[in-house]
Amino acid sequence: MSEALKSTDYKSNLKPIWCPGCGNFGVLSAIYKAFEELQLQPENTAVCSGIGCSSRLPGYINAYTFNGIHGRVLPFATGVKMSHPEATVIAVGGDGDGFSIGAGHIGHAARKNIDITYIVMDNNIYGLTKGQASPTTPLGVRTKTTYYGNMGMTFNPVRMLIAYKASFVARTFAGDPKHVQKMIVEAIQHPGFSFVEILSPCVTFRGKDQFKIIRDKVTYLDGVHDIEDELKAFDIANNEEHFALGVIYKKRRPTYYEIVMDKVTAKAKAASNGIAQIDKLLEQFQP
Amino acid sequence: MLNNKNIVIGIAGSGGEGIISAGEILVNAASSEGLFVFMLKSVGAQIRGGESSIRVRVSDLPVQSQGDRIDVLVVLSWKNFLRFKSELQLEEKVIIVSDTDDPMPDEEIPLTESQREFWYKIPFAKLAEEHAGTHQAKNIVMLGAISEIFSLPREALSKSIKKKFKYKTPEIIESNIKAMVAGVEYVKTQVVKNDPLTFEYQHREPRLVMQGNEAVALGAIYAGLDYYAGYPITPSTEIMEWISRYLPQRDGIAMQMEDELASINAILGASFAGKKAMTATSGPGISLMSEGIGLASMAELPVVIINVQRGGPSTGLPTKTEQADLMQAIWGGHGDSPRVVIAPCDVEDCFDSTVLAFYIAEKYQCPVIVLSDQFIGHRKESINPESMRGSKVGFRKIYHRDTPSAEDLKDYHRFKITETGVSPMSYLGIKGGEYLGSGIEHDEKGSPRGDAANHAKMTEKRWKKFEYIKEEFRFERFYGPKDAKLGIIAWGSTKGAVKEAVLKANAMGMSVGAIIPQIIYPFLIEPFKEFIKNKDRVIIAEMSYAGQFRRYLRGFLRFSQYGVKVVPFAKAGGAPFMVEEILNKIIKEWKEMEARR
Repeated sequence: MSEALKSTDYKSNLKPIWCPGCGNFGVLSAIYKAFEELQLQPENTAVCSGIGCSSRLPGYINAYTFNGIHGRVLPFATGVKMSHPEATVIAVGGDGDGFSIGAGHIGHAARKNIDITYIVMDNNIYGLTKGQASPTTPLGVRTKTTYYGNMGMTFNPVRMLIAYKASFVARTFAGDPKHVQKMIVEAIQHPGFSFVEILSPCVTFRGKDQFKIIRDKVTYLDGVHDIEDELKAFDIANNEEHFALGVIYKKRRPTYYEIVMDKVTAKAKAASNGIAQIDKLLEQFQP
Repeated sequence: MLNNKNIVIGIAGSGGEGIISAGEILVNAASSEGLFVFMLKSVGAQIRGGESSIRVRVSDLPVQSQGDRIDVLVVLSWKNFLRFKSELQLEEKVIIVSDTDDPMPDEEIPLTESQREFWYKIPFAKLAEEHAGTHQAKNIVMLGAISEIFSLPREALSKSIKKKFKYKTPEIIESNIKAMVAGVEYVKTQVVKNDPLTFEYQHREPRLVMQGNEAVALGAIYAGLDYYAGYPITPSTEIMEWISRYLPQRDGIAMQMEDELASINAILGASFAGKKAMTATSGPGISLMSEGIGLASMAELPVVIINVQRGGPSTGLPTKTEQADLMQAIWGGHGDSPRVVIAPCDVEDCFDSTVLAFYIAEKYQCPVIVLSDQFIGHRKESINPESMRGSKVGFRKIYHRDTPSAEDLKDYHRFKITETGVSPMSYLGIKGGEYLGSGIEHDEKGSPRGDAANHAKMTEKRWKKFEYIKEEFRFERFYGPKDAKLGIIAWGSTKGAVKEAVLKANAMGMSVGAIIPQIIYPFLIEPFKEFIKNKDRVIIAEMSYAGQFRRYLRGFLRFSQYGVKVVPFAKAGGAPFMVEEILNKIIKEWKEMEARR
C-alpha cells in the first residue's frame, strides 16, 4: 500500500495566472482537498477544460490534464471517459465556455448521463478577454460590449441542468471552500453526469464587492428536501432572490457506459460469438 | 463500346420497383462468378419513392470506371426514365428491354432511329402477377429475362435471389425464383434474339462486393479502431452505420454526437486517453471540425478524419461527387497546423488508405485526413478478398504509438524535441506520465509558453515529422510507359477514368503516362519530378472548377523549368469524369504535339 496522497501532491509546478482575489483560488484549493479526501490517483484522473480564466485550472493540477478549445470540454471529456471508464474524469470551465459557446453540448452530456463531473466557475463575465458580457451577466449591467447595459435575460444554469435531466445538480460558492470541497466530493462520487455550479466572483471585472453581494444572497439547503424530486429542485432553482447552496437534485440512473456494456457490447458480442475477426467481418461482403 | 466481355446495363424506374435490389442481385451474381463489377446508384431527392436508376458494369476483365455508355437499357417505367436522361448516356446501338404494357411516350423520349433497332418488349408485371402472384416481382422477372437474352450467369443469379430473400418466408423465396424462371422461359419461347451481344466470361474465384464507405469502416477496424464518434452526413453516413454495428463486436465504442464539433473533440479525448480514434464526415462537417483538427496538430494527438467529399460549397450537392475539399484538407485551419492528407482512388484503396491513415497518425502523432468522395463512397465494386486479409508488412503492420520508457518517465517531457519530432506519448493510466496537453503553445514539458523563441522551436518540432513521413513512403501509381511525352496527373476517384483512358490511348498507338498519388500531403516530390522530367505536356485532371490540385502542384513543381506545358482539365463536380472525356483530351493534346514535331 503506497502512502496516502496529500492535497499538495496534486499541485503542479505551474503558478495560476488569476488576478489577486479571484474566486478560482478558493475553488482550486477545494479541488486539491477533495482529491485528497477521495485519494484520487493522478495517473487515473483526467481534468479537462476549454478556454477562459477558469479553464486554465487543469494546468495547476498534477494529473492527466488538458486545456483544449473554447466550449468543447464536454465532448472531449466524453471521449476520455468512454476510452478509460475506470478513470475519474472532470471537466471544468466558466460560464462563457459552458453556457455560451459550449451550450450545445451540455444537454447531450447530461441526457447521455456520461459519468463525468462538470464544474462551472460562474463569474457572470468574460474575464480572460477582459470584461465582456456572458450568458449569466445580469440584465442591465454595463460591460465593455454592453455599454448601455446588458440586454439579454440571465441564464439560470441550475434550472437548465435539471431540465436537461442531469442526474446530479449542485450549487456552491467559492467564498466557502469547505462547502465547495464537499460538493465536489459528492459530485465525483455520483455515478453519472454531475454538475456543480460554483459562484466564483470576478473581482476585477465585476467588482471587489462581489464576494459580499453573493454572500448576502446565499442560503444553505438543510439537506431534508427530497433530492430526487425534480419539481422541488425547480422550485429551488427558480428562487433567483437567493442562491440556495447544496445538492439540489440527484438521482441514480444508468450511465452511458453501463448501458453500452449491458445493452450494446453484450448484444454485439453475443451476435459475433466473441470478438469478431476480420475474416468473419468479411463474410457479409461475400456475394 | 460493344464488347462481349464487358457489358454496361442501366436500369431505370420508380422508387418502389426494386431497381436497386435488382442491381444488387445482379452484382452479387456476377461477383460470385469472380467477375469484375462496378455499380452506381442514383436516387431522387425524395426519402422514399420517387425515381431511381442504377448502372451496373459487369466484365470479364478488370474495370476502372462505370463505363461511359449504356449497352443495355432496361426500363421498368418510362415516365421516370426522363429524369435520368443526363445520367444514362446511351450507346448508338443500345439494346432496350422494356415492359410490353408500359408504352413509351414517344414524343418525349429522345431515342434515335438506330437506338430503336434492338428492342425487346417483355410483360414483366404481367408475368410477375401470373407466376409469383404479385406484380412486385417484376424486377426479378426482368433479371431472368436479361440473363437469358445476354447469357449472364444464371445459376449464380438464382443463388443471389435466394440470398437476397434469405430472411423472408420460403414462399417468398420460391415465388421470386418462379418469377426469374418465368422471365427466362418467356425469352426462350417468345423472343427472337436479333442483337449481337452475348456475354462471355471465365469462371473464377468469387470476389467480395462492397462500397467505398464500407471499405473505409473495415479498414479502420482492421487497423485497430477503438473509439468512433460522429454525426450523420451524406454521403459519409454508411461508415458510421457500419461501425456502430460492428465496432462493439470488437469491444470498441461508437457514439453518435450532437454535432461535428463534438465528434472531433470526443475523438481527441479518446486519443488523449490512449485509444485509436476516428470520425467520418463530409465537407460541411470538416468545416466545423477545422478548429479541432488544429488542436490535434498542436496537442500532437493521433486521430483519423474521413472526408467523403460531396459537391460544394455550403450544402452544395449532398449526393453528388466533387474533389474540391483538397485545399481545405491541407490548409483548412488557422495557424501552421501540420496534418497528413491521403486520398483513396477506388473502393479497395479505401481500405488501404484508412489502414495507412491509422499507421501514420499513430506513428507520427498527428491528424490524418482521408479524402474519399461520394463517387467512391457510394459505389459498389467487386474486390479480391485477399487484398483485405491480414498482412505483416509495411503499413499493414498495425502500429501502436510509442510510449515513454522508464527512463523517459523519470522526468517526463511529453513534447520532448527528438530527431524525428515524435516524442514518446504517455496516456491516462501510465503512472509518472501525467502531463498537461493543450491547444495553447507550450514547451517540451507541456507548460504554456508565449515567447517567440519557444514557438519557433515547437513549430519546427511539429513539422519535422513531415520529413520522415516523406522518407518512409514511396508509393505512387504509374500507368502507361514511363518515357511517354504526354502525361496526366490526377488524384482520388478520378483515377478510374484516367487509367482506363490511358490504357486505351496507348492501345490506340499514342504514348501517354499517368501518375496518381496516394499520400497527397506532405507532398512526395521525387516521383513527380521523375514523372514530369521527360514530358512535353501534362494534363492535370480534377473535379474542381478552381483547379485546386493544379494550384497545389504548382507550389512544388516548377513545370516550366522542365519545359513542361501544363494543360488544365478542371471541371466542377456533380458527375464523375467519363473515360471518353479524358480520352478526347488526350487525343487533342497528342495531335497538337504531333503537329509541332
